[in-house]
Amino acid sequence: MTADIIRITGEHMLIVAIAVGVAIVLGIPLGIYCTRNPRAGRVALRVIDAIQTIPSLALFGFLIPVPFIGGIGMRTAIVALILYSLLPIVRNTFVGIQGVDPIVRDAGVALGLTSRQLLFDVELPLAMPSIVAGIRIATVIGIGVATIAAAVGGGGLGTFIFRGVAMVDTRLILAGALPAAALALIADVVLSAVERRVIKG
Amino acid sequence: MKRFVVALVLLAACSQKKPIVVGSKNFTESVILGEMVAQKLESAGCKVDRRLNMGGTFVCDSAMTSGALDTYVEYSGTALEAILKQPKADVAAAYTKRGLHWGPALGFNNTFAMIVRRDDASRSGLRSISDLGKVAAQFQPGFGYEFVERPDGWNGLLHAYGLAFAKAPKTMDLGLTYKALASNEVDLIAGNSTDGLIESLGLVALDDDRHYFPRYDAAVVSRNDIDRKCGGASHALESLRGMLDDAAMRRVNFEVDGKKRDVADVAREALSGHAAGAGATKAR
Repeated sequence: MTADIIRITGEHMLIVAIAVGVAIVLGIPLGIYCTRNPRAGRVALRVIDAIQTIPSLALFGFLIPVPFIGGIGMRTAIVALILYSLLPIVRNTFVGIQGVDPIVRDAGVALGLTSRQLLFDVELPLAMPSIVAGIRIATVIGIGVATIAAAVGGGGLGTFIFRGVAMVDTRLILAGALPAAALALIADVVLSAVERRVIKG
Repeated sequence: MKRFVVALVLLAACSQKKPIVVGSKNFTESVILGEMVAQKLESAGCKVDRRLNMGGTFVCDSAMTSGALDTYVEYSGTALEAILKQPKADVAAAYTKRGLHWGPALGFNNTFAMIVRRDDASRSGLRSISDLGKVAAQFQPGFGYEFVERPDGWNGLLHAYGLAFAKAPKTMDLGLTYKALASNEVDLIAGNSTDGLIESLGLVALDDDRHYFPRYDAAVVSRNDIDRKCGGASHALESLRGMLDDAAMRRVNFEVDGKKRDVADVAREALSGHAAGAGATKAR
């Protein structure tokens, strides 16, 4: 049983790591894009908000017949989790950059920085605390949400929870719920340390 | 004036009467039946609190015994095998012993059905569960968690038929299994023999040639104190006896699963006696 819990906890961490990793790679550029093209950006942010309201089972239902990203298994769960993780990352990137003092930005322009330099040397460093906070939120929530992977045969700690609920076996439910809670706490502590470090610069 | 106040107080006392909590499990038929029970009670003048879509058998049963739920529709086979764990017992007597009432049978037997795609069935000549031996090497089973965990589920079936599948079943939410089968993600699922989707998705339910699955006669289970919450409640439930046979239940399920119609509307039609066809044209 202990070996099972460790293996499945590992599976759970893998799901969250891949999903949040991909969400970071997609979400930060998307957040930057939103600051550059406000009109398209507003639409993108609305869509990402709307995704958040789709119940996971409905999302799985849509994804199962889709080739490459769908099916029954971990892949579908990861795709869903990526979609759910986008909101805090994109939103916080957007807000972080928007929140950069216009005076600072103007100073950069006055110094003759290209828009690329302005982004990488001024805006992103200043927005970093907000971006890291977004990643932290995405990770902590993702660890909880990833328990739904078990609903689509994706493994992870939800497996214990689903089996436990099906059999009203509280121990089995706890075998899934407690490691998930512990993971979320650990991730929160680690990422808040990262956040503090980023703020200190 | 005084009389008016007394009447007001009495009225308040009456309206504070606790509602009858009606539950159901988390699949279409159970939700429809829960809704039918709820509407029947409402038409008898009872206040009803709907807790439909609650989760599996064990969730409903523990809610019944704890008093969180007053009534729901259970199946005799499930009660005997999974709840009472006494396959040979008399279900009504056993429920009385538990302080619950095994009420009127609704008239249909919704046993488990092992379901495959029709093209697979015709290609490999699958008609009964025994025939699954021919495809056990390549078929990928996919089930909800309860069917995999329950002793009278998948493991019991493999044992009873002497089947050995090469692939372990993929486990998922029960509601996704039909979609998974229709999308070729899995090749064999466990559904219910009255599922409307069997017809509408072009699937085949295999014949249980060794009578592995017990009878699953649907019946209304209620708590003994239900009439104290609302006089006439058990009388209303009694009038549901024999309301639906297998075919009628399949049609009612198809109205919701296949035609995506509103559960409350379909339940209302089923109660008024014209389950399918007529009601559908009227809706248009």
